[in-house]
Amino acid sequence: MDSAIRMRGVRKAFGSKVAVEGMDLDVPTGSLHGFIGPNGAGKSTTIRMIMSILFPDTGELSVLGRRSAVESKDRIGYLPEERGVYKKMKVASFLIHMGRLKGIDAGPALKKSVHDWLEKIGLPDVAKKKCEELSKGMQQKVQFVSCVLHEPDLIILDEPFSGLDPVNMRLLRDLIREQHDAGRTVIFSTHVMSQAEQLCDHIVMIHDGRKVLDDPVQTIRSRHKPTGVWFEPFEAISEEQSIDAVRGLPGIANVRRIDGKLEALLGEGVRPDEAVRLVASAASMASVDLHRPGLEDIFIQIVTDGQASADDRAQLRAALRDIGGDA
Amino acid sequence: MRQGFSFSKVMRVAGREFASTALTKGFIIGALVVPAALVAIIPLIGVLAATAKPPAVTGTILVIDRSGEVYDTMTERLSDEAIRERRLAAARRAAEFAEGTLGAFGSRMAGSSDQVADAIPTPTFRFELLDPDSDPEQAQERIRQQLPGGADEGPAGPDRVLAVVEIDADAVVRSSTEDAYGGWQPFFRPRLNNEAAEEIRAGVAWSIRERRYAEAGMDRDLIRRIDSVEQRSAQQVTRTGVQRDTSGLASMGIPVAAMILMLIATFTGGQYLLTTTIEEKSSRVVEVLLSAVSPMELMTGKILGQMGVGLSLLVIYNAIGIFALVAFSVTGLVSWHLLLSFFVFFALAYFMFAAMMAAIGSAVNDLREAQSLMTPVMLLSMVPYFLFFPVVRAPNSMLSTVLTFVPPISPFIVIMRIASPEPVPGWQVAAAVLVNLLGVVLMLWLAAKVFRVGLLMYGKPPNFRTLIRWVRMA
Repeated sequence: MDSAIRMRGVRKAFGSKVAVEGMDLDVPTGSLHGFIGPNGAGKSTTIRMIMSILFPDTGELSVLGRRSAVESKDRIGYLPEERGVYKKMKVASFLIHMGRLKGIDAGPALKKSVHDWLEKIGLPDVAKKKCEELSKGMQQKVQFVSCVLHEPDLIILDEPFSGLDPVNMRLLRDLIREQHDAGRTVIFSTHVMSQAEQLCDHIVMIHDGRKVLDDPVQTIRSRHKPTGVWFEPFEAISEEQSIDAVRGLPGIANVRRIDGKLEALLGEGVRPDEAVRLVASAASMASVDLHRPGLEDIFIQIVTDGQASADDRAQLRAALRDIGGDA
Repeated sequence: MRQGFSFSKVMRVAGREFASTALTKGFIIGALVVPAALVAIIPLIGVLAATAKPPAVTGTILVIDRSGEVYDTMTERLSDEAIRERRLAAARRAAEFAEGTLGAFGSRMAGSSDQVADAIPTPTFRFELLDPDSDPEQAQERIRQQLPGGADEGPAGPDRVLAVVEIDADAVVRSSTEDAYGGWQPFFRPRLNNEAAEEIRAGVAWSIRERRYAEAGMDRDLIRRIDSVEQRSAQQVTRTGVQRDTSGLASMGIPVAAMILMLIATFTGGQYLLTTTIEEKSSRVVEVLLSAVSPMELMTGKILGQMGVGLSLLVIYNAIGIFALVAFSVTGLVSWHLLLSFFVFFALAYFMFAAMMAAIGSAVNDLREAQSLMTPVMLLSMVPYFLFFPVVRAPNSMLSTVLTFVPPISPFIVIMRIASPEPVPGWQVAAAVLVNLLGVVLMLWLAAKVFRVGLLMYGKPPNFRTLIRWVRMA
């Protein structure tokens, strides 16, 4: 399969601070790639180099078969993390302006496209409003439209969900899937790993400017087996009673409380389905669920090499959930 | 080449830049309504000033005429009728001058001079001749007593003492021991209307002079005729005949006006460029734009768009200027050659200063941060103001010639030289174009480097050392 993006040994530093180091990357055409990592990991810098907004100090880079994105800017849709609109411009005028900058001919077709998109994102009445009159969430949806209006081959979204409420997050997720289903290559970055888990078919993890994982989601899942069984006893039974009951089960190494949940840790060689059955029958349970390690857990495991203390893990987890800027 | 360059995208950026600046209420009011209002207000102020009626001053002048010669002449000179007659004569002379200088427009102004002079009230003086040996202190005491809080305080009227006039004994006839004539001294009541005081001063001095001529046995009318040298309006000889002389306007007015107009247009466009660049950066729309256009395309588009704004101003103001020249029948002062040169050197000046503004706008986060970086640019812009007098006075001097080749102030100097009556050597104009073109290329190159790095830099505002580092980095 052709690569929409190819990077080899790319490095970028700002003064003494190395933002990206030794980045090798292949993004196949038509894939939905997620760049994940904590704030400051180097995701945005990588994306800006892909977009030729920044240029690598060393290394090779190609985008849509060209040496830089500049040569194919009209085939790329980009939603930057630091996004904005012309506040005094009317929404439709802004979208038309951006469409024309992306090479769409002015005319009724462009106007109709703008109108259709505004309807699609649930903002049919804002065309003649000034951008500054829209809420932040509305502006973000308008910016997404400006990114896909010209039907690009490659869509790059830097933290597209930040600042959106759950309803609009779902809407945006559906729109991204729709673009992917239409055969477009989509890359998006996020520091919220669950979003990548839900949406992507391929994950690239970046930490301290280096790629630490680059695999399809299925491969990651199969590589990282379930580690325990979450359970929640009925209120009639005390937690202590249920913990005692589960701890005594064969194949259960220990029971711990994590993120407010009770987890029975699986011992070596125990079949997960058997463990679930045993836990469910150990006491009167309200819910029992297999715990697969999430991307957050996998990330922490990779970057700490499984050696981190509980405190270090907690700190890393907090960093991953922090909402803020990226380098 | 590292980056492609799409002219259509540049023009698209330029179009938006122009529309977002020039098609706003603020710009239209600033560029059109304000100058139009000024044009309307200035003549109105003139009319108001001419028709403003000073208070009609009435009062008494105490005269200590130690010479015994001046009093009668003085009372005649300062009588109501004599003052009114002089004012009418002065108004007519002013009208004739206006007609000679401003042509048809001046002639229309002249028509109303009689009514204007007629409408202004004249002061009414009463005179009281005191004993020649009087002590001026005692006379002054009468003024003091009539002041607020004094023993004789009262309303304004013919009895109010306005002034004490003390005339020396030898004011008209010299004493045998002195070569010079004696003089006179006025003592005015506080806050006496200036026009009334001036009337008294001039009236007494004239009267003393009249009496001296008479005492010397000289024919006053003959002297007046000798003193009066009539000069009919100056004319310039042209190929087809003669026309009114406009050398003053040509040598000073037009060059300075051209330079100021060019500065206004350059810095209006430049200021807008600075503001819109900062706005795009602070509203974070810039990275969205950079996904569609390269930094060079963005900067070029913005510079061209704001150049359109500056050109619009120039066209508007030039049209107003030409209209004024037509109204004053002095169209010969502006040639097509001057207009063409004006636009060429405006473009050169604009590109240099706009490049600086774009670079500064991209480097800072808000207008406040821009102030420190703007200071040297503003100082540069003031240089033509400081130098206009020596350049206009001697357009082909060494100073003028050297400044012709110093960008970025060169365009302003050259346009003053071209607009002045002394012809500038053609090679100097051509060389100035070349030097400024090099300046434009250099400034755009440097600005593009700062622009590319600065647009995505947020946080601490840069200083000049940082800008130089960015230039090396880009």
